[in-house]
Amino acid sequence: MILALEYHRSPGRYIAARGLTATRTGRLLTGSITGNVSPIRLVHRDAPRLPGPDWTRVTPLLSGICGSDLALLTGRASPYLSPLTSMPFVPGHEVVGTTLDDLPAVPRGTRVVLDPVLSCRARSTPACRWCASGQENRCDHITTGALGAGLQTGFCGDTSGGWSWQLVAHADQLHPVPDELPNERAVLAEPLACAVHAVRRVEVPSGASVVIIGAGTVGLLTLLALRELTAAGPVYLMAKHAHQRTRARELDATALIDPVRGVRSLRRVTTARMHHPERGSEFLLGGVDMAFECTGSPSGLDTALRLVRAGGTVVASGMPGGGVDLTPLWYRELQLVGAYASHSQRADFDTALRLAGLPVLEGYVDTRYPLGRWREAFNHAANAGHLGTVKVAFDLTRR
Amino acid sequence: MSRPGFVLQVDERTPPLLVHEGEGFRLEPLPLGTKVIYPPDSLPGLKRLDAAIRRALLNPVGIEPLPELLRPGMRLTIVFDDISLPLPPMQTPDVRQRIIEQVLELAAAAGVDDVELIAANSLHRRMTPAELKRTVGDRVFRAFFPDHLRNHDAEDRSNLTHLGKTGSGEDVEINRRAAESDLVVYVNITLTAMSGGPKSVSVGLASYRSLRHHHNVHTLRHSRSFNDPPHSAMHHSYDRMAGLIDENLKVFQIETTLNNDVFPSATRFLNKREWEWSIGDQASYLAIRRANGMLPPAARRRVWQSTAAPYGVTAVHAGVPAEVHPQTLASVHRQQLTEVDGQSDIAIFGLPYICPYNVNSIMNPVLVMSLGLGYFFNLYRGRPIVREGGVAIFYHPVPDEFHPVHHPSYIDFFEEILTETTDPLVLEAKYEEQFATDPWYVQLYRKSYAYHGVHPFYMWYWGAHALEHLGEVIFVGGNRKTTARMGFRSASTLADALEIASPVVGSSPSISYLHAPPLVLADVR
Amino acid sequence: MSTSRSRVGLLAGASGRRPRRLGLRAELRLLRHGRDWRGRSTVPRSAERWVPDVTEPEFPTAWARTPLAVALRAGVTRRLLKAVVWSQTAPEVQGTAYLDELRGPAVFVANHSSHLDTPLILGSLPPLFANKVAVGAAADYFFDVRWRAVTTAFLFNAFPVERYRSRRLRSLAADLVDDGWSLLLYPEGTRSEDGWMNPFRLGAAHLCVAKGLPVVPIAITGSYAAMPRGRGWPQRGRPRVAIRYGRPLHPVGEEKARDFGQRIVEAVARLAAEEDLGWYGALRAAANGTLAVPGYRSAQPARPIESRPVSAAASAPAASAAVAPAAAVAVPADSDQMAHWRRVWAASRPMSDRSRRTTRTLRRPTPPE
Repeated sequence: MILALEYHRSPGRYIAARGLTATRTGRLLTGSITGNVSPIRLVHRDAPRLPGPDWTRVTPLLSGICGSDLALLTGRASPYLSPLTSMPFVPGHEVVGTTLDDLPAVPRGTRVVLDPVLSCRARSTPACRWCASGQENRCDHITTGALGAGLQTGFCGDTSGGWSWQLVAHADQLHPVPDELPNERAVLAEPLACAVHAVRRVEVPSGASVVIIGAGTVGLLTLLALRELTAAGPVYLMAKHAHQRTRARELDATALIDPVRGVRSLRRVTTARMHHPERGSEFLLGGVDMAFECTGSPSGLDTALRLVRAGGTVVASGMPGGGVDLTPLWYRELQLVGAYASHSQRADFDTALRLAGLPVLEGYVDTRYPLGRWREAFNHAANAGHLGTVKVAFDLTRR
Repeated sequence: MSRPGFVLQVDERTPPLLVHEGEGFRLEPLPLGTKVIYPPDSLPGLKRLDAAIRRALLNPVGIEPLPELLRPGMRLTIVFDDISLPLPPMQTPDVRQRIIEQVLELAAAAGVDDVELIAANSLHRRMTPAELKRTVGDRVFRAFFPDHLRNHDAEDRSNLTHLGKTGSGEDVEINRRAAESDLVVYVNITLTAMSGGPKSVSVGLASYRSLRHHHNVHTLRHSRSFNDPPHSAMHHSYDRMAGLIDENLKVFQIETTLNNDVFPSATRFLNKREWEWSIGDQASYLAIRRANGMLPPAARRRVWQSTAAPYGVTAVHAGVPAEVHPQTLASVHRQQLTEVDGQSDIAIFGLPYICPYNVNSIMNPVLVMSLGLGYFFNLYRGRPIVREGGVAIFYHPVPDEFHPVHHPSYIDFFEEILTETTDPLVLEAKYEEQFATDPWYVQLYRKSYAYHGVHPFYMWYWGAHALEHLGEVIFVGGNRKTTARMGFRSASTLADALEIASPVVGSSPSISYLHAPPLVLADVR
Repeated sequence: MSTSRSRVGLLAGASGRRPRRLGLRAELRLLRHGRDWRGRSTVPRSAERWVPDVTEPEFPTAWARTPLAVALRAGVTRRLLKAVVWSQTAPEVQGTAYLDELRGPAVFVANHSSHLDTPLILGSLPPLFANKVAVGAAADYFFDVRWRAVTTAFLFNAFPVERYRSRRLRSLAADLVDDGWSLLLYPEGTRSEDGWMNPFRLGAAHLCVAKGLPVVPIAITGSYAAMPRGRGWPQRGRPRVAIRYGRPLHPVGEEKARDFGQRIVEAVARLAAEEDLGWYGALRAAANGTLAVPGYRSAQPARPIESRPVSAAASAPAASAAVAPAAAVAVPADSDQMAHWRRVWAASRPMSDRSRRTTRTLRRPTPPE
C-alpha cells in the first residue's frame, strides 16, 4: 500500500476547475482551487506492478511540481492531451529517487533521476522511427504497448508517478546521480534537460539576440542553458518579480524587462519601429532574433510573436494554452518551433546533470512539503512568483 | 513540545507582524530581510504548584530546611517583591500568596509569634491596601494588616540600620526590622534575569544612601547589560552588598520563575507566531483592535490595566540567595533566551502599555523612555542587537500624561529639568541631590502613594547606556512635543522613521525587530 | 503630515498630533497579505524548520449524536434515504427476528462491497437499533474534507476509523459502546474489488472480546452487482439485494480475539452462501468445511520497501498479493486461482434470476454457472 496523490477522471471537477480559474478572482484563488476543486486526492493505493523484466521500482526522494502539473490541475491543459494519459494516474515527472530492484546497469539502491518519457523501449514495442534515431520525445507509440497510454511517467496509470511513495521505471529512464549532487539539485535535472533540449532544438547563431519570456523555472533554466551551451549574444529576460530579477542577473542576463512595459523595452536596443494596432498589443517591425516562450500562457506567446524580427524563430518551451493571433507568424515569415521534453540523441540528461551542479542554482528548490500538506504545496506552487520561490517540491521521505 | 526561540528573516511570504504600541497593537509589514527575534514557546507551568513550593521549602540549597530554621520566640520577617513584578500582574492567587501561606503555616506549626511582612518596595511607591491584599491573599491580609503587614519606608531614619560599607566603600543600609530579625524569608519572582539573587534584599529593603552607589550613570553605563549579571557592574555592586548582608543576616530566599503566558485567553493570538494564526485568531485581532480604538482613553486605560496574566510557574527554588540564583537564572534563560547572529543597523521595539512603575497608573514620557531605552534595549546578552551608533525605533504614542499622585516628581522633572538638559551626567551632578532630599517629595513618598523624588532620575539613568550607544532614537506614532523634549525624533509611519534614520545608517540598513512582549532575551554573538 | 485623512483618529487623548486611524479595509488588507482565502499563511522560509508536526485533530462527530441530530435523522433523513434506496433497489431483508434477543448495544458486522451497504443496513434495522447505531467510516476517505465529513457524519451517524498507520492512538469505538451506542463496522476495511469477501481485520473482534459485546453478522449479497466500486448510482432496473442477519455471537469465556474473529467471519460467509445454497445447505457446507472462508491479515498494510516484488508475469491480472484470494461462495476450493474476470462475473450476476428461496431442502450445491 502506498500513499499517492491520484488524479482521477471527473468531468464535473475538471470543468469546474477550468471554469473557476478562467475568472479573475479564480485566477487569484488558483491555489485553493487546485486544492479543493481539482479531481485529485490523497489516497492509499496498491503499489504499481512491474510491467516487465527491465523495470525497477523507485522510491522517490524529491519530486517537483511543474507548471504543466498546475495546468493539469486547473484544467487549463489542452484536451488534446487527454488520450495521451490513462486515468487514474499519479502526477509527478520530476523525480529523484532510489531504485529498489537490481538491473544490469543500475544496481539496487542507486540514486537516480528519471527521464519521464515513456518511449518504445519502455513499452516493449518495436521502435518507431523517432525512438530508432534517439529522439524519444517524439515517440509515436506513446499510447500502446505493455503500458497504458501515457506520454510520461506522471501521466500514466500503470507506472504511478513522483508524487507517491513508489513508482516503477524502465532501465532506459534511469540516470544515476553523482554522489556529490544533493537531492535539491538533482530534482532540477528534468527541467534542466528540457531547457537544454530547447536551446539545442534550433540553431542559435553566435551573437544572436534572444528574449526569454517568463522567469519561472523554465525561463531561468533556459537562460542558464543559453549561456552555458550556446554562443548567444544579448539575452533579455521578461521577469515580473524581484527575486526572479535577482536570479536572472546572477545567470548573466543582459537586461531585464518589465512585462508591463513589454514590447517597448526592446524597441530601442533593436532599433526597431513599434506599431500599435487598434486592438491587441504593440508589435515591432524589427526586433530580436529569437524568442523563447517559457510561460505557457497565450499572452506570452503573443508577445513572443510580436517581438521577433522577420524570419526569426520563436521556440515554445512552455506548454501553450489558449488561442493566439498567428498573423505575425505569417506576415513576418517566422519559425514557430515547439520544444518538448528531451531525448537521448544529444545526451540532454547528462548535460543537465552536469549543469545541475553549478553553484548559481543554489536555493532554486528551497521549500519542500510532505505529501500530507499537498494543498499547501499546490497553493505555494501556484503563487510561487509572489512568494519568492522558484520551484516547490514534495519531500517523500517525510512520512 | 516547546519550540526554542529563533530568528525569522522576513521574506515575501511573511504576513505583517504584530507590534505593540502602548495601549494597543498593530500589524506592521516589515521590510524584506528584517530579522525578527522570537522568544521560545511558552513552557508549561508546574501542574502541582503547591507541592513544588513545599518541596522547595523542605529541600533548599545551602541552608537547612525551613522548618528547622523556625523556633518559638524568634523574630521572623517575610519580605516579598512589590507590585512592580510580575508584569502584567498575575491572575490571583498570586504565587507570592501561595508561598507566604505555606511559610506561615510552617511558622505557626513551629510556634513563631513575632512575624512581620514587609513589601520590598525600596524607593517605589507604597502599595495600597488593595494591592497588598491582592498580592498576599485574603487570609494573610486579614491576619496581619495593618500592624504587621506594611511597606518598606526608605525615609524613616529611625527604622533603618546601617550595616557597614563594602570593600568598595558602598554603604549598606537596610530596613531595621529585617536587619534585626533572626530570619528573613524573601519571596521573589524572577521575571527577567535582572531581578532576584543579590538584588532582592540589598535593593528591595534599602535606602537612598545605599542605592546611589549603584543606581548612577557610571554603573549603568558599565552594565552591559543589566540582564546579564556576570557582565553587569550593577550586579557586581549588588553582589558586594549581598555579601555584607549575609554576614549580618540569615536570608532564606524563595525564587520563582514564570513562563511566557502573558496574555489572557481572549488575546491568545498575541502569543502565537503570526503565520500560525487561525481564522479565529485573525477575527479576534480585528475585533479587539477596532474595539480598542473606539474606547475613550480613560476606559481603555482601565481595560488594559485590569488585565491579569495567566502565568504558569516554571520553577520554584529556595535556599541561600547566592546558590539559588544560578538555578533560577537557568530557568529564566530556558524560557526567554534566543540566539541571535550579529548586530544590525536598526532595532525596532514595540513598547507595551505597562512597565514596573505604572501598574494601576499612567505611563508618562519618562517611563516610556526608561521602558524603551532601559528595559527593552537591555534585553540582550553579549552585545546589543543594534550596533554602536545605530538607530532604535520604538512604537509608542508617548502621551503627555502624568499621574499626579503616583509620579509628582516626574512632572517637575519633565517640565523643569529636562528642558535644561537631557544629558544623564549633567542631571546627576546638578539636580539629583535636590530631588532626592526635597522634603515635599519625601512626605509624599512616606504618606501618600508617590514614587521617591529621585526616581525619575533613576529612570533616566536606566537609558544612559542606550543614550550613549545609539545614534538616533525615533518614536513611531509618538507625540511630537514630548519626544522632542526628551531629545528624540518622532515619525508617523515606519517608512518615515526609516527615512529619518537614513542619514545615520544609510538607505538600505539591516533591521532587527525584537518580538516582545512576551519577554525575549537576545543572546547576540 | 501631508497625507489626507478620511477619518480623524482618536487614539490618544493627549495634545499633539493625532495619529490617523486605519480604515477597516486597510486592516483587512493587512490581514490578508501573505494569506490564502482560508486565512492560512504560507510559512516564511526561515520558520520552516519550526513548523510543528500537528496531527490533524480527529473530525469531531459528537454533534451528530446529540438528540437533535438523532431526531432529525430518524424523522427526516433516514426516511428519505430509505425511500431513495428502496426505490432504486429491491432489497430483501431476513433474520431481523434474531435481534430480539439482544439486550444493550451490539456490534453489527457486515461484508462490504458497495456504498449501498450502509444505507441498506440502516434502512433494514428495526427502528430500535437504527436510531442507536454509529457507523465506522474510513477516516481517510470520508473525513478528509469538511463537507464530506459533515455529510457522512450527519446522514449516517458515522465516526472516523483509521485504516492505515495513524498517529492517533485510540479510536472512538470503545467510547461509543460505553455510551450505549451500537456500532456498524466493516472488518474488510474497504469495499471489495471484485465482489468477493476479503479477509476480515480483527478490530471488531478485539473490541467485542474486551467489552463482552455480542456481534451480529450480516451478509449483503447483490450490492456489488447493483452498485460496484466506481459507480455513483445503482444499476437500472431495481436490482435485487439480499440482507441477511445472523444469530448474535457472544464471546465465550476467555475466548481470544483471533478465535472470535474466526467465528465471525465464518458466520458472515455462511450467511452469504445462503443465497445460493439456501439456509440449510449453507449450514451443512459450514459443518462439512466445504465453505471456504477468507483468512486473516494484520491491520498494518505492508510498507512499500518491504513488499515483495510481484512476479514479472504481466499477463496475470490476479488479485493483489496481500489478499489471499479465496471464495466465500460455496464453490470447490480450487477457485483460488480463478481469474479476476470470472470472480467479477460471478459477483455481478443479477440476483433476480436466482430463484427466491429462503430455505432449501437438502440438495447438492450447484455451481454458480
